[in-house]
Amino acid sequence: MPADPARAYKWVTVVCSVASLGFLIGAAVRENISADWRGHQAAFRGILESKAKDDAARAAARRLPIEIRQVSVPALHTVDRCVSCHLGIDDPRMSGEPNPHRAHPKRLVEIHRVEKFGCTVCHQGQGAALNFQEAKAEDYFWDYPLLPTSMTEATCASCHDPRALPAGAADRLVAGMKLFEEKGCGACHKLNGKGGQLGPSLDNEGLKTQHQFVRTNLKGSQTTWNWFAEHFRDPAGIVPASLMPSPALTQREVEALTVYVLSLRQRDLPAEYLAPDKIDEQYARLHPSPPDGAVLYRRYCAACHDTGLHSRWDKKFQRFVPGIRNAAFLRTEEDECLAENIRDGRPGTRMPAWGPKAGGLSEVEVKALVAYLRKSAPAAPLPAAPPRGDVSKGARLFAQQCAGCHGPDGKGLIAPALANPVFQQAASDPFIAQTIRQGRESTPMPAFGRAGFGEADIGDLLAFLRKWGKP
Amino acid sequence: MPDSPKRRDFLGLAALWSAVAAMGTALAGVMRLPKPAVLPGPLRVFKLGDPSQFAVGSITRNEAGGFYLFREEQGFHAISSTCTHLGCVVAHNEGEGFACPCHGSRFSTDGSVVGGPAPAALPWLEIVVSPDGQLQVNAESQVPKGTRFRV
Amino acid sequence: MTPSKEFLENLKQAPRHVRESMLRNGKTPDTDRERSQSTFHNFFLHLQSVRVHRHSLSFGYTFGLGLILTASFVVLTLTGILLMVYYKPGVEQAYDSVKDIHYVVPAGRFIRNIHRWSAHLMVLAVFLHMARVFYTGSYKRPREFNWLVGLGLLVLTLGLSFTGYLLPWDQLAYWAVTIGSNIANSPREVTDAIGITAWFDPGRFQKQLLLGANYVGQEALIRFYVLHVAVLPLALTALMGVHFWRVRKDGGLSRDESRPAPPARIGEREVEVFAPSKTYGLMAVVRGRTPIVGRAPEGTVPSWPNLMWAEMAALMFTIAVTLALSYFFDAPLKEMANPAIPENPAKAPWYFLGLQELVSYSAFMGGVGVPAIVLMGLGLIPYLDRDPRGVGVWFGGAAGRKTFWQSLAFGLASVLALLAFTVNLGWLRTWFPTIPQIAIILLNPATVIVALYSAWSLWVLRRTASIRLSALALFTCFLAGFVVLTAMGSIFRGPNWQFYWWPSQWPIH
Repeated sequence: MPADPARAYKWVTVVCSVASLGFLIGAAVRENISADWRGHQAAFRGILESKAKDDAARAAARRLPIEIRQVSVPALHTVDRCVSCHLGIDDPRMSGEPNPHRAHPKRLVEIHRVEKFGCTVCHQGQGAALNFQEAKAEDYFWDYPLLPTSMTEATCASCHDPRALPAGAADRLVAGMKLFEEKGCGACHKLNGKGGQLGPSLDNEGLKTQHQFVRTNLKGSQTTWNWFAEHFRDPAGIVPASLMPSPALTQREVEALTVYVLSLRQRDLPAEYLAPDKIDEQYARLHPSPPDGAVLYRRYCAACHDTGLHSRWDKKFQRFVPGIRNAAFLRTEEDECLAENIRDGRPGTRMPAWGPKAGGLSEVEVKALVAYLRKSAPAAPLPAAPPRGDVSKGARLFAQQCAGCHGPDGKGLIAPALANPVFQQAASDPFIAQTIRQGRESTPMPAFGRAGFGEADIGDLLAFLRKWGKP
Repeated sequence: MPDSPKRRDFLGLAALWSAVAAMGTALAGVMRLPKPAVLPGPLRVFKLGDPSQFAVGSITRNEAGGFYLFREEQGFHAISSTCTHLGCVVAHNEGEGFACPCHGSRFSTDGSVVGGPAPAALPWLEIVVSPDGQLQVNAESQVPKGTRFRV
Repeated sequence: MTPSKEFLENLKQAPRHVRESMLRNGKTPDTDRERSQSTFHNFFLHLQSVRVHRHSLSFGYTFGLGLILTASFVVLTLTGILLMVYYKPGVEQAYDSVKDIHYVVPAGRFIRNIHRWSAHLMVLAVFLHMARVFYTGSYKRPREFNWLVGLGLLVLTLGLSFTGYLLPWDQLAYWAVTIGSNIANSPREVTDAIGITAWFDPGRFQKQLLLGANYVGQEALIRFYVLHVAVLPLALTALMGVHFWRVRKDGGLSRDESRPAPPARIGEREVEVFAPSKTYGLMAVVRGRTPIVGRAPEGTVPSWPNLMWAEMAALMFTIAVTLALSYFFDAPLKEMANPAIPENPAKAPWYFLGLQELVSYSAFMGGVGVPAIVLMGLGLIPYLDRDPRGVGVWFGGAAGRKTFWQSLAFGLASVLALLAFTVNLGWLRTWFPTIPQIAIILLNPATVIVALYSAWSLWVLRRTASIRLSALALFTCFLAGFVVLTAMGSIFRGPNWQFYWWPSQWPIH
């Protein structure tokens, strides 16, 4: 038996106690001595001292306490500790200093006082953190990492109408807004209740976190803005089987559009933070001015229909997109039919419904669009259609002459679907008859009337085609 | 069993004292926890704008900061509007001084107690010019009575 | 002396008299006898017996697990109270308060880490302690009831860990508790399958009792907080008291009493030792077990200092390991809880992942059935194995060791084979999509593994004619199963609970 039964335990106690002491002291040093922010504050103190103009100022600089500093803004539910390292953020004397001491650039902080705004409301990031890596919060368990400088304009739109900002303030953002219009993104993406439905709606797209995106093919930083940028460069590369055509943007355009998409966010900010032009913008949305048909066309139609003057082969859709501003077409179609097509779309095809319950266009806007289309040519009276004839003859004719483009089941191949409820509803017999007779200029639809179709043939075809409509 | 002869147990002592040291350090570290390293809530430092907007002879009430700002020929001074008795907000009567509605404390124009249960004068608050050129009152920092801030 | 002189003299002597009145023996002890007296008289010290058997101090016998558990509980209570100074149990404030504890509160980061890691250590230790007590036969008479108390402590420990898990209100917490509350809801699987849910729905009752609502929200947070800081710690403390009391009254830690005591040395002579009964002081003679430790002085040493050194070593060891972990690893904290964005995979805390794996086959069997069977089985062990021999020896001897290794192999092999089967070939619903749910409840990997293990245990019983060995076989199988299923749930299950070899292969979503 050992002389002292507790000997081994005494050894364990000594070793473990010394180890514990070591870790305790290590933790204390890590928190109270070697923390990053303490070093930065000490350096800042030195800078203040060197800039001091007299002894009193020098003494005051030396007395600057080294402590955690934070800006608490209850109205915005934020507590930002960025100022623990960025002490000189609103001190104009610090504009030439290296970061983190440098004063905020562009005199923005004079308008957006740190005490009133904090920092994260514009810059995102984890305001509670006390070191840069965790404040930046990229590749971290934080929903909104720090925005890179090039992307910071995105948050301006939370309080401002970007178009009302002075030049140089949010140029990228405004450029992005314009690009969104020019490229007609609204043709497939709904925004603020109006837009197409081929792609997802973009409301609050800027508030999405990285977890709401499929990032399997995303290389580089896993942030939402990188996702957007890569998506704009190569849509199908990021979203497999995406129908989105590549917008063919330059690097600067990619940045601008990314900033814009990032700015799409409805934030619950107190009214005192909203700029007057923002409130005007919101008012304008509820009381829109008379719509401009050309603008609407650009925004919602041009992406698929291009100029609309002729039909267009779409690589992604693998079919012809009708030329809806084609003069020949418009001569045969009445305004009400045009409106119906726009309102109800073509279910089962890529043409979505645009009415108030679907695409969100109001009656006024639909009428404006129709008026714009109408500019190409007035409606001309149509010759009467032949009476409907023999269905089986019509079926044979259809299979021989029409099915190759319109599909054997009329669902459309490279030519529009005829077995479509909206087509059947909107298209009148005279319209169909005239189209078969005369064809459609600037499109692949031949003039069968000149190729040997008689009125009886057209009548048979009509009988057959109408079987797809409602009785 | 007879007691073993007493021998100095170095290992035992070392073990005991090292354990005590570890526990003591832990306790000391832990005792620091309840005192906050940084106080929650907004800063009690108030930027009031360009000094020139305050005319000589003006008296400005700042409700958020809980003080009155005076500008006279000699300079600026700010007197806290929190009664030193139990914390009510005092009212200012021009020429007469301050009066507290809660228990009737009265103060002269420079904050000295002239009546009522208040145990001490109303504090004078520190005024500086912030780096961006604004007049700044620090409601958490007091200066001796009579200190004027000249711009 | 005059009254005023007496008054001054008393004032002068007050410090000494305070000390003398505080210590029942009047002074700090110098001799073994005085130390024994202090151990007996002091409120805190009389938890221990005055003398303790040498065998009880053997590290290789207990591994100090009970002490590690007690030390962890003390650390957890102290750090927990400190965290309560800053933690705010409201859904809007909880997450931010934890972030503030991490970044701003003095020593907050370290203390929070300590709290989290010692919680994990405590759960690990409670399983190891149960295994140690089982394998040394320390549940046999007269310690059966203490085994049951220990099971209660196991459940309370898991409950404390689970309730604490929700409090940070981050994605991990929120979805883990969503899973946990749905496991509580798992009786629905059975009541739905037999169609009685409309009038008997214990699943919904349990879930609503836990959550205070049908979803994890403010109600759940407050309930979990109250359970975690008040109800469960009090229950645990009470049961711990009973547990220590029973250890004392059942004769101290178990030891092998089959071998004769070694002879004692008195001077130059070796003297055979007998076992006189002893009573202490003026205590009445009690019927049944006398309040002595083991038999007699032979083989025992004074608790002060020997047992106290063992306790000190266990305490400092626990603290050192906890501090090391807390220095290098931060307690996890993901993004703030977001009901709109589910974690995928959403995983329960590690000690429930074995259950979650079983739940993925049948909610009821994994969530209620198997745990109930296991708990009941564990509780019955001391009442089925009534043979008083074999206490204090690991595995009860060579035969037990052999059974242990064989059962370990069988347990591992069967659970691995079953998992490989289900991962590659699926289960009933994969081959028969319309099979009624009751069939799956009755025949699923959980029930299969229970059946396999039970069959093995029965076979051992018939082969060895020893209840203890068959219990040992069953326990070891379940231990192996628990470890493998926990590993399966932790490492090899990825998004949508699909099987992946390594987390690096999980698709990013």
